Amino acid sequence: MFTQFGATSESLSKASTMMFRIGTDAHLYDDPDDVSIVPLLDSKFDSEKCEALKRLLALIAQGFDVSSYFPQVVKNVASQSLEVKKLVYLYLLHYAEKRPNEALLSINYFQKDLGDLNPLVRAWALRTMAGIRLHVIAPIILVAVGKCARDPSVYVRKCAANALPKLHDLRLEEHSASIEEIVGILLNDNSPGVVGAAAAAFASICPNNLSLIGRHYKRLCETLPDVEEWGQIVLVGILLRYAVAKHGLVEGSIMISSRSLVKYNSEREDLEPCLARKENPDDISSEICSEIADVVSRSYLEGPEKYLSQLSCMDKNPSSMDISHFTSSKSNDDVKILLQCTSPLLWSHNSAVVLAAAGVHWIMAPKEDIKKIVKPLLFLLRSSNASKYVVLCNIQVFAKAMPSLFVPHFEDFFVSSLDSYQVKALKLEILSSIATCSSISAIFLEFQDYIRDQDRRFAADTVAAIGLCSQRLPDVAKTCLEGLLALALSESSNGDFASADEEAVLVQAINSIKTIIKQDPPSHEKVIVYLVRSLDSIWAPAARAMIIWMVGEYNNVGGVIPKILPTLFKYLAGRFTLEAVETKLQILNACTKVLLRAKGEDLSILRKIVGYLFELAKCDFSYDVRDRARILKNLLSHRIGSPYLEEVKDQPEIEDLAHVLTESIFGGQTKPPSCEPLSYRFYLPGSLSQIVLHAAPGYEPLPEPHSLIYDESCNISTDVQGIKTSGVGVAHNEPNENDDSEAVSGSSDEENTSDYSSQESMSGSSESGGSGSASDVNDNAGPLIHLSDADLTHRNRVEVSEENDASGSNGVDELMSKRDLESWLDENPGLNQNSLDLGHVQRSLARISIKDFGGLVKPKSYTLLDPANGNGLSVDYTFSSEVSSISPLLVCLHVSFRNCSKEPMSDILLFEEESNRSPDSSDQSVSESSPVSRSEVPTLVPMEEIANLEPGHTLKRILQVRFQHHLLHLKLVLGCNGRKHLVKLRPDIGYFVKPLPMDIEEFSNKESHLPGMFEYIRRCTFTDHISELNDKYESSLVKDNFLLICEKMALKMLSNANLFLVSVDMPVACQP
Amino acid sequence: MLQCIFLLSDSGEVMLEKQLTGHQVDRSICVWFWDQIISQGDSLKLVPVIASPTHYLFQVVREGITFLACTQVEMPPLMAIEFLSRVADVLTDYLGSLNEDLIKDNFVIVYELLDEMIDNGFPLTTEPNILREMIAPPNIVSKVLSVVTGNVSNMSNTLPGATSSCVPWRKTDLKHASNEVYVDLVEEMDVIINRDGALVKCEIYGEVQVNSQLSGLPDLTLSFANPSILNDMRFHPCVRLRPWEANQILSFVPPDGEFKLMSYRVKKLKSTPIYVKPQLSSDSGTCRISVLVGIRNDPGKSIDSITVQFRLPPCVLSADLSANHGAVNILADKTCSWSIGRIPKDKAPSMSGTMALETGLQRLNVFPSFQVSFRIMGVAFSGLQIDKLDLKNLPSRPYKGFRALTRAGEFEVRS
Repeated sequence: MFTQFGATSESLSKASTMMFRIGTDAHLYDDPDDVSIVPLLDSKFDSEKCEALKRLLALIAQGFDVSSYFPQVVKNVASQSLEVKKLVYLYLLHYAEKRPNEALLSINYFQKDLGDLNPLVRAWALRTMAGIRLHVIAPIILVAVGKCARDPSVYVRKCAANALPKLHDLRLEEHSASIEEIVGILLNDNSPGVVGAAAAAFASICPNNLSLIGRHYKRLCETLPDVEEWGQIVLVGILLRYAVAKHGLVEGSIMISSRSLVKYNSEREDLEPCLARKENPDDISSEICSEIADVVSRSYLEGPEKYLSQLSCMDKNPSSMDISHFTSSKSNDDVKILLQCTSPLLWSHNSAVVLAAAGVHWIMAPKEDIKKIVKPLLFLLRSSNASKYVVLCNIQVFAKAMPSLFVPHFEDFFVSSLDSYQVKALKLEILSSIATCSSISAIFLEFQDYIRDQDRRFAADTVAAIGLCSQRLPDVAKTCLEGLLALALSESSNGDFASADEEAVLVQAINSIKTIIKQDPPSHEKVIVYLVRSLDSIWAPAARAMIIWMVGEYNNVGGVIPKILPTLFKYLAGRFTLEAVETKLQILNACTKVLLRAKGEDLSILRKIVGYLFELAKCDFSYDVRDRARILKNLLSHRIGSPYLEEVKDQPEIEDLAHVLTESIFGGQTKPPSCEPLSYRFYLPGSLSQIVLHAAPGYEPLPEPHSLIYDESCNISTDVQGIKTSGVGVAHNEPNENDDSEAVSGSSDEENTSDYSSQESMSGSSESGGSGSASDVNDNAGPLIHLSDADLTHRNRVEVSEENDASGSNGVDELMSKRDLESWLDENPGLNQNSLDLGHVQRSLARISIKDFGGLVKPKSYTLLDPANGNGLSVDYTFSSEVSSISPLLVCLHVSFRNCSKEPMSDILLFEEESNRSPDSSDQSVSESSPVSRSEVPTLVPMEEIANLEPGHTLKRILQVRFQHHLLHLKLVLGCNGRKHLVKLRPDIGYFVKPLPMDIEEFSNKESHLPGMFEYIRRCTFTDHISELNDKYESSLVKDNFLLICEKMALKMLSNANLFLVSVDMPVACQP
Repeated sequence: MLQCIFLLSDSGEVMLEKQLTGHQVDRSICVWFWDQIISQGDSLKLVPVIASPTHYLFQVVREGITFLACTQVEMPPLMAIEFLSRVADVLTDYLGSLNEDLIKDNFVIVYELLDEMIDNGFPLTTEPNILREMIAPPNIVSKVLSVVTGNVSNMSNTLPGATSSCVPWRKTDLKHASNEVYVDLVEEMDVIINRDGALVKCEIYGEVQVNSQLSGLPDLTLSFANPSILNDMRFHPCVRLRPWEANQILSFVPPDGEFKLMSYRVKKLKSTPIYVKPQLSSDSGTCRISVLVGIRNDPGKSIDSITVQFRLPPCVLSADLSANHGAVNILADKTCSWSIGRIPKDKAPSMSGTMALETGLQRLNVFPSFQVSFRIMGVAFSGLQIDKLDLKNLPSRPYKGFRALTRAGEFEVRS
């Protein structure tokens, strides 16, 4: 009742404006609930419904909860009036989550609307339906979105793209694949408007699935200028990420030039302070502030948090990148086209677009081309105040890392009195970092004006900026000092009633003077004396404290200061009680320092003064002052000759200790300012994190360069799908677009042979054998496992494998006993031949090659000869997976001979037992069937004799042996010191396994014969892997669990040298 | 992406809230925001990006109305700011101007606009021409109709054709009775004159504003006589960039109505049309001030509505100022404005007077800077000249009009 009253009286007061409000919805906003809404909602007139809905909207706008009307409102979804519809939608979206059950009632109408002829109705229905966040209806929405993604109307397709993040937001894992698929479709859309929205969807759904971008990269770049502005902002960022992931950093860009510079400078760094390098900013060598640029580029790549934490644990980690990582903007088409297509965006009237484009050039362009972004960036400063601040924050980083860019444009950073304080402060900081010898005079002229600005905080900042400038440009230090002194004097003259703000300027001036003096105290002695003289007029406690600190610190610099000390301290002692706490503490510190250095008659005077000061301080009000006085007094007892501590005097070592302590606390000259590690936080240009200076949720640094690799030549030379994986990034080869369905279905085609070869790959060496696949392109820093495509050299491969098999088919079936390890190891030559033939026709080979694995394998060691039996000679052997160079039938062994006795041994040799040579050993059925060629392979390749083995020494030999059978020992004779020992080499079954090409049918056939061995079945499903593969032929950068398991199993297998049958169903989906 | 948009009035009242995503933002964030504004004074009002404990806030302030947007995740801050500015522009365009009452009175339109402009936190339709077709702006006819008939829908029933065309900024089937196009050069002068009277910065920020009332799908080409003087430029999306890169010709299919074709900057100008010479001398607690204004470089046209504004230093207790021409006003916030209007032929306008300083203060230690504004019709002070405007693809001969205007932008004289 009363609220109504209030409302009416209020509207009366607005009587004058009433005239203009007629015909608007004013009355609805002013008193939305003066009529009962429910009957209106149930009315059959659209106009009444409209009014009711508007009243509800007004209530929402004013923050009331009107969700209780939900059932009545939902009914009106069926209305034909677009206005009613729109208003209902607005209401629905606001409350759907609160009232899920009632919201479900509306779904039918939405579905009906989705089939409407009017695209506007379709779009609205889709938008609203997707906005109702209900898990139950997610599948329905997904279907709807999929349908709308193929809608003839651009507007509807755009809305479909916008609906995708809403769906994704529900976190329905099972749908993520199909959502990404739709993103892919929309990215491929003909209309630039849709592409922009699709880019936004991509960025929020699967920002790391960069391989999806790769498919459309060129086209996306080309349409970039036509995409609407908002899409451009997002798309530019995505393309940048893709280019970095795919091609790495650009040679000569800011990201890299800094690295090389840092390397170059790293030796000098310890010798000279970093300031030395900035001495001549006009010089080309210091065109870039390499240190900051390095931090910037690292921060972009790793994120500042990670970078800074690294910094703390190891002060400088070596650049882990080598030159092969870099690409060039001139030779690389992708980078070139990106830079080309983003340059027109620098003219956009949307400042966010300009900044995004500038960010790309900043990161990707060679540094001589970065200039291009300077003018557009500076022009942004003329746009609205709000964007001015954000742009300046970004320019600040650019200017810090590469001052030369902005040096000629210093005038653009001159402060206008209309700027906000934040903008002014940023401009000052930029000015002080880009000042050069040539521009400094003009800048100082400006600074002089700023000092007299009405905003004293800003004036104080200006003074600080002067200090910074003089630090960067030592040449002007003298001028600065004079100016600052004059300023300090004039400030102090009207200081009596100065406000805190006024004081800030003075304190800052003294502070700046202090930093200048610090660089070269002896030459500025006069300044200190001058300041001491003006102590009388400077009243700000902080300023006084700083002056007194300077006196203490530089008390023995030059010739004048020591002379005035006694007088000064008399004066200070006299005023001690009037000082502020801050100043008192500094007085105590300073007099301690002075006392340590004082000599002759000064000492006695000072002693008295100090004693007096300590007495005064003892009775001070402040705890701090009292405590400080007590500590100092005890420390100085030997200098003061205090009567209180006589007992200490008797103990010279304690006195010495006190002396040493005082010396080390107060006596040491402060070192010249050392380069503190840069702890700035840098985030990607144009990001929110860069403005708030912490990583906002969802912030991601640039992807690791080259984490996305595939060889394009692959696509051209073969129609077969190739897969390549690295530990971090997983990328799948992309066949030509027309081919991809064919190619993928091909791999699951029955006719295809899949060869899960592990022959060379399992070997410890890093060469990946005949495959010659792109995996070798990768450097040694590359990941452990490569799922590499073996078809790069398709023909080659086939030939090689053919050869292998030709020689192998003989060998293999010799190697294996048909009786023993029946079907598995047994090789049917006919079948083999068959599969080979098939392979000629169409052959898809996927090869899991695991590189650099040798180090991880711990082979089992077997004892050949016990030292007890061998008179102190101990012989061990391990199997090695190296392939013999002589014949594939030979197995390599590492044999280590160790002399455990006290005497040297000589003539150690392993050779075959005579009986072994007999061709007809009856128990070896293999030999019967063996072809003639077999006998050509020796049982044992003669070993190099060990002439002498000293006690305690160990020698290693590599032995190549041909085992007759995988279960039979090989009897050998070990000769040592003229004596012979009979030894037995036990074969290890794991090293007999050779790769066999087999098609799927055959494989499952063989597999069915196997049961009865050590059977151990474990099944697991890697859904994420499947979904990635399912969706597109690339997978994202997530860690591949599948490969992880493979790696584990391979490791286990090699270490135990046992046989396992690991069958892996490769989830390769067929595309419709 | 943006999660929520609030419209706050001058006094911090939340006039409107529009939730954009499923993650609803409670309006208590506005309370927090306003508390910050009050506790930190005006300085915060000018920070566009604020990190609150729960959300990141972006704010754009227009005519006292605060447009506040919230997000919790990383997004380009300029995108949010540009979008909010765009919302403010569109609302100003729809409502005639911006103030608390207008927004409250037309809240339904504001809601409809916001809903159309942003979908799920990502901008959807921001092109004013398309918006205008989808949601009819309030006008006197519709107002009268709504009074008479009770209610009139302002929602269009059909999707504007432009959404699917390759020139999304233009209606597909436009018909005007009179075909006319006006091109205006509007230049703003940014000047800083330091305490020594030296010209520190003098540049022109200009805009080419076009008002096109053309039927069909015309193709326009605009060329300048001296494009080389332009330092920087930004273009409306309708401008084709290739011809500009090649021959510095603006080739475009214009949107309907008024729009900003391009903005440009001409730097390092040598002189200003007028001079303003302030002199301040202070002694024993009083300060004498005198300001002289005159024509330095006659542009050939009359200089209109000259005003000089400055803020009295905080240490000034009272001021007694008078001028031989024009009126001097001292406002409550110590802003002093001297409106001169046109400079008379016979005398040079001057203002003089004394100011009393705070007790104890002998001399003035901070000095005000003077903001000058003026307007010159018919002159583009940068010297930029339009060479010709060609129209193609038009049924009848159109009328072409050219105008120029120079006014003071950030014209600042320090003392």
